[in-house]
Amino acid sequence: MNKIVSLTNVTKSFQHKKAVNDISFSIGKGEVVAILGPNGAGKTTTISMILGLLKPSTGEVQLFGRQPQERQVREKIGTMLQEVSVMPGLKVREILELIRCYYPHRLAMPELIKLTGLTEQDMKTRAEKLSGGQKRRLSFALALAGNPELIILDEPTVGMDITSRNHFWQTVHQLAAQGKTIIFSTHYLQEADDAADRILLFKDGAIVADGTPAQIKASISKQSVSFIVDPEISLENLYLHSEIDDIYRKNNRVYVQSTNTDRVLELIFQEKIGARDIQIERGKLEEAFEQLTSAAKEAI
Amino acid sequence: MKAFQMQCKMEIIRILRNRYFVFWSIAMPILFYYIFTNVVNTNASDKGEWAAHYLMSMTAFSVMGSSIMTLGIRMVQERSQGWSTFIRITPLSDTVYFAAQMIGQSVIHVLSITIIFIAGFLINGVSLTALEWVLSGLWILLGSLPFLALGTVIGMMKKVETAAGVSNVLYMIMAVAGGMWTPLEFMPKIMQNIGKWLPSYNFGNGAWEIVTGSMPDWRNILILITYLALFMLLSKYIRRKTEAV
Repeated sequence: MNKIVSLTNVTKSFQHKKAVNDISFSIGKGEVVAILGPNGAGKTTTISMILGLLKPSTGEVQLFGRQPQERQVREKIGTMLQEVSVMPGLKVREILELIRCYYPHRLAMPELIKLTGLTEQDMKTRAEKLSGGQKRRLSFALALAGNPELIILDEPTVGMDITSRNHFWQTVHQLAAQGKTIIFSTHYLQEADDAADRILLFKDGAIVADGTPAQIKASISKQSVSFIVDPEISLENLYLHSEIDDIYRKNNRVYVQSTNTDRVLELIFQEKIGARDIQIERGKLEEAFEQLTSAAKEAI
Repeated sequence: MKAFQMQCKMEIIRILRNRYFVFWSIAMPILFYYIFTNVVNTNASDKGEWAAHYLMSMTAFSVMGSSIMTLGIRMVQERSQGWSTFIRITPLSDTVYFAAQMIGQSVIHVLSITIIFIAGFLINGVSLTALEWVLSGLWILLGSLPFLALGTVIGMMKKVETAAGVSNVLYMIMAVAGGMWTPLEFMPKIMQNIGKWLPSYNFGNGAWEIVTGSMPDWRNILILITYLALFMLLSKYIRRKTEAV
């Protein structure tokens, strides 16, 4: 595998607090990776170290087999930072022209405009007068200005409306299809599930899961069978079966949790409890996320 | 090289589009100049000499202001809005970035000096020899270095509001106490003694000497160089402290 990013036993401490604790992973060419986790999990610290803005306390970060601060690396990466960055006094077109000329393989202006959805009106607006959504489009354009091989986006869709969010992810898919490596951080599960082909799930500065969205969902396998039943009917008998992990009622439905849903169905009919409108609920990424991140909390 | 030229060009555009700059560095000094040489009766013994002297005061006042305020406040702005962080991730080197800012600022100073000199000529018909015009202009351009360094110290502050407040107060105190508004000779003895040690007085005095046909004092040059070194060290020290993460 052609390694674009590799982190080896990276730890970052601020004063006495460990923001990132001994993480290792590598990302190959063409991967689209989501760094997912709740606030304070170490996502931004990790991204800052990948970008060379922070130095790891111990361990090593390499991009394209080099140090992140090297010029050869800088020429091949593009970033969208969480903080909105504007250069007051310049129009969008001027800023883009300025930033483009820092890079040897700059992207042609018409293509840049097309990819980012900047309008002719946006291009004439001064940076300080841009709306939140326009600023995000500008930030995205700045990230792509140097036609980078590695694109790093820190919480890219914060402050975008639905239309621009859709357009944004479409463009990301387009870029991924061109073979670009993309890393983005988010705390929206849906985004990670939809856009990434690999998720690094962060919790308390450590990686608690690393795999495709499907793998992560499967590893949790919190499946259940739900149905409607006459409230008079006792469910006592179901409790007697060891295959059933938990039974609870929610919104007039009974939920029976088990790793083996086929067996649960069998039991429901066997016990003749008169269940109606039976549904099988597959594990959702959301549940996996909650389970993984809260399980780690209990361990402390 | 293209990046460098572009960077300089953009720095200049940005300063010119800044309304505060145009007001404080061009309009105000010219207005003051007009008032203190024509409206207010200053009882100057030699009207021509006073017109030239005060033209230098106001030009120095303008350049000092844009050095401290424009540069400093912009640095704070860029850092607080994350622009500086973004620039660090691009291939642009720190040296090019810094050099472009300094060159942009100097081009702006040349422009301010030229405009205010022309205003002096038009308003009061100030007449100096070609050499005096050039030398006094050069003196003001180079003498602004300590103030640019002071601007970078201001630029280390965290909030734009603080930076704007502090630089305004410093600017006004230095202008008044350094004899840029009223010459030191008309001030109480104690103010004169303090004023002579301020960078603003030594900055102005070099130009005042040039327009009376002499040369800046060695003392002026030495004091300005000392302030330059002091402010540079201070700015470097603060930066090292804040970047020690």
